[in-house]
Amino acid sequence: MLGYILTIANFACIYALAILGLNILTGYAKQVSLGHAAIFALGAYSQALLVTKAGIPFFASLILASLISSIIGMLFGLPSLRVSHDHLVLTTIGLNFIVVAIVEYFDFFGGALGIVGLGTPQIFGHLLATREYLILVVGLLILALIFCWFFSRTWAKLLMEAIGEDELAAAVLGINVARIKLLAFAVSSALTGLAGALWAQYIGSVFPKNFGLELSITMLSMLVFGGMGTIRGALFGALFLYCLPEALRFIQNYRMLLNGVLLAAMVIWQPSGILGKGGLLDWQNIVRKRKAQ
Amino acid sequence: MRRAFIILALFAVCAFGQQAIKVGFIAPLTGPAAADGFSALQSALLAVDYINAHGGINGVPLELVYYDDALSPDQAAALTRKLIEGDKVVAVVSGSYSSTSRAAAAVCQELKVPFVAAYAVHPSIVQVGEYAFRVGMAAQIQGRIGGYFAVRELGAKRIAFLIMNNDFGISLAQAFKDAATSLGATIVYEKRYPVGETEFRDYLTAIKAADPDLLYAPGYYNEAANITRQFRELGLRCWLMGDEGYDSPKYLELAGPAANGVFITTDLDRDSRRPITQFFLKAYEERTGIPADMVGASAFDAVMIVAHVLRQAGTDPKAFIVYLAELKNFEDAATGPILMFQERTAVRPMQIQIVLNGKFRHFYEYGPEEPIIYYTYP
Amino acid sequence: MGQIIANAVILGCTYALMAIGLNMVYGLLKILHVAHAGIYTLGAYVGLLIFRTLTKSLWPGLVCAMVAAGFAGVAIFHILYKPVLRRPRYIALIASAGIFAASQELFRLIAGPYPYAFPAQFVFPAIRTKFFYLTSTQMLILSFTVVSFILLYFLISRTKIGVAWQACMQDMDIAGTSGINVNRVITLNFFLGSALAGAAGILVALYRNSVFPTMGALVSYKAFVVVVLGGLGSMPGAVVAAMLLALVESLLSAAPWFEFPRDALAFLTMTIILLFRPKGLFRR
Repeated sequence: MLGYILTIANFACIYALAILGLNILTGYAKQVSLGHAAIFALGAYSQALLVTKAGIPFFASLILASLISSIIGMLFGLPSLRVSHDHLVLTTIGLNFIVVAIVEYFDFFGGALGIVGLGTPQIFGHLLATREYLILVVGLLILALIFCWFFSRTWAKLLMEAIGEDELAAAVLGINVARIKLLAFAVSSALTGLAGALWAQYIGSVFPKNFGLELSITMLSMLVFGGMGTIRGALFGALFLYCLPEALRFIQNYRMLLNGVLLAAMVIWQPSGILGKGGLLDWQNIVRKRKAQ
Repeated sequence: MRRAFIILALFAVCAFGQQAIKVGFIAPLTGPAAADGFSALQSALLAVDYINAHGGINGVPLELVYYDDALSPDQAAALTRKLIEGDKVVAVVSGSYSSTSRAAAAVCQELKVPFVAAYAVHPSIVQVGEYAFRVGMAAQIQGRIGGYFAVRELGAKRIAFLIMNNDFGISLAQAFKDAATSLGATIVYEKRYPVGETEFRDYLTAIKAADPDLLYAPGYYNEAANITRQFRELGLRCWLMGDEGYDSPKYLELAGPAANGVFITTDLDRDSRRPITQFFLKAYEERTGIPADMVGASAFDAVMIVAHVLRQAGTDPKAFIVYLAELKNFEDAATGPILMFQERTAVRPMQIQIVLNGKFRHFYEYGPEEPIIYYTYP
Repeated sequence: MGQIIANAVILGCTYALMAIGLNMVYGLLKILHVAHAGIYTLGAYVGLLIFRTLTKSLWPGLVCAMVAAGFAGVAIFHILYKPVLRRPRYIALIASAGIFAASQELFRLIAGPYPYAFPAQFVFPAIRTKFFYLTSTQMLILSFTVVSFILLYFLISRTKIGVAWQACMQDMDIAGTSGINVNRVITLNFFLGSALAGAAGILVALYRNSVFPTMGALVSYKAFVVVVLGGLGSMPGAVVAAMLLALVESLLSAAPWFEFPRDALAFLTMTIILLFRPKGLFRR
């Protein structure tokens, strides 16, 4: 039983890391991305290729995969300089499809047969089973949280939020919109790509179909549910929405139906999410309101 | 004092006697693969009923513990762990596709529990280690036999390929190609299409222009039905050949009269007189209201084999895999006798069935004496 | 070659029917109506239901499918979109996606995961020329599309409510203050757009002889591409873009050396065109 819980914990933390990345792009800079599964795939496939084809050791591959995702993710950000809002959403959907199609059709990426055999990860000769892997994942997650916390206190984040609020006004104020947008894409992709790499290594194989639009929708839902634009929201959304289907397993057949309905209901009645600013359980807000009374 | 002890001991024996032997099962019950998942699960449950009606595992009832993997490898991995550590299953059967089966197989190998894939074809599944087995025919062999049949029996010299772009289609097509070209046929057209594609008229128009003797279109029944109908609609006159993915009543229903004359390679012989096959076909239809398909038959067989090995070798994993690897001539499989295991994949006679008047009928068979049904042969 | 173009035109019609509905919703409310695909599937299932219970003829099923789809669309507006009109757009988008995913599951739970055949009967002329031929099903799709678009055009440009509609598309608040019953326009909008989607569902079910829970996913993404290409909110743009896309797809699929899935191709085309003309081919 413990193994099962540890496995769930592993995946939940990996998703949390991915959503932290999404939060930077969609939460701060309000560049709504419905194609973040493609970024996740970038990390996963980079890891798979580096480990199986280039024989690079596990930990080094993680760093490299994150870097590669960051660079390519930044390239994906280029369309955002030309289009915005709804067109951007559609473009991100398109990028998702294109990335999946590329890894599915070009044999270098394994094609439809995917890439298998990533092997058990090891650091300095020490094998990482589920328990040790969890320690690594949690460690990286904590590092990411610290990074995000520091990041949220930088100018960059303020500029991103400014762009998110009103792009035109930001430009008029002298903000280099293009540069900040690309930065958002880069940082976001680094985190989500790292998550993808961790995911691929843990499962041991990557198949194109796992990174489709459904995953992107799930990722965005996690962010919105938890509370867009906040670190705690991203963390909570990912952990909660990942574990919920597992907890609902006793109603196996109706699980996914409930998931969809819950999402729609949640997003209509509490769009700030649970922990977002003004959300259902936003303690700071509640306390502030109490004080004001 | 002694009396209490005896009563306690009797109690313990009774309790143990009632405890079932659990076998784990994962299948995609929700999501795009739900149809196959449903078929696999119902067939597996049918097998469990049959086994328990015939004495269970040496008197102990068999219980199937199943979960929905929603075709997601991370769920499959987590669920396999849950089955092994939480539900304490003695073996895991996968009624799911390749990506999920592979994740599950890796976990089973790590935890040293026997794993049997019912119909997933990716070669890497059994390569994770000595605990992973597969009951379905290897795609390489099926494709190879298709190629032989096409050239030797149907006399095809010019062959076109319309391949479903996944592990299933690609490995089948590759083996078919190799076999056919080694016998002197030429490839006049080759294209891959994505899973879920519904519009084939453009491909078929180009194929018609290439004038082949036979079109080999490996894939699942949804796409196959569309290919078949559009094939006839456009007036193509060559042979159309498919694989066990077509082996479903849904293919016949969706393709309608267009399917007449289509050949498929498969292991399920619906005309077979073997009692277990007829039992399965009837019982499945009674249970679900729809006729059986290959996915279901494979899941049924996987559970039957696991039960057989449990009866003979007990629940110890090491003994299990040793026995299974050495198993010869297992008859209680609906899809046909399993002759042996090579590379932990079942070797069995292959059928060529033809669609006539809306039914799959026996046409040709490659039996145990044919070298090409074996994984390795001189 | 003629045959390829003919097939492409029919394919384009199916895309256009979906895209028009999406465009109608977008033009008015600026919402990316993902649940549209669920309505498409609903149309197919309603048609199937009529076929299996009442009559084997196609026409009653078609009418029922359109009506049911229309009502479903209006219901979705009232339950899902109305509460979030004043909020950022991605809220509506996610709610829509959630309902779409839930609808697929609902169909699976009610009707089962297996695809159903749909051999409904109808009589319709077919065309056979030297360069191409169109089966009666294809002719049906073509005629239906043409007729509905002509009717739609007249509705929008010549009737009073059509003019009101145009006003709402320009600026809903001002239209409201000018005395236009905005609610009525929106309701009509959703009803018609959804009815067309329902029709598309049942027609495609007929064309491919199968109805299954996830059939909406395949078409919906394509429809979005069409909408963007044609310019969000532009009806004639959507039709042209639909045909264009279908043509590009078909020609490239027929080319022996080219291998890339249709969906990705569609999006690639869209991305490239958006880089040069960010407002789509036909600006509004």
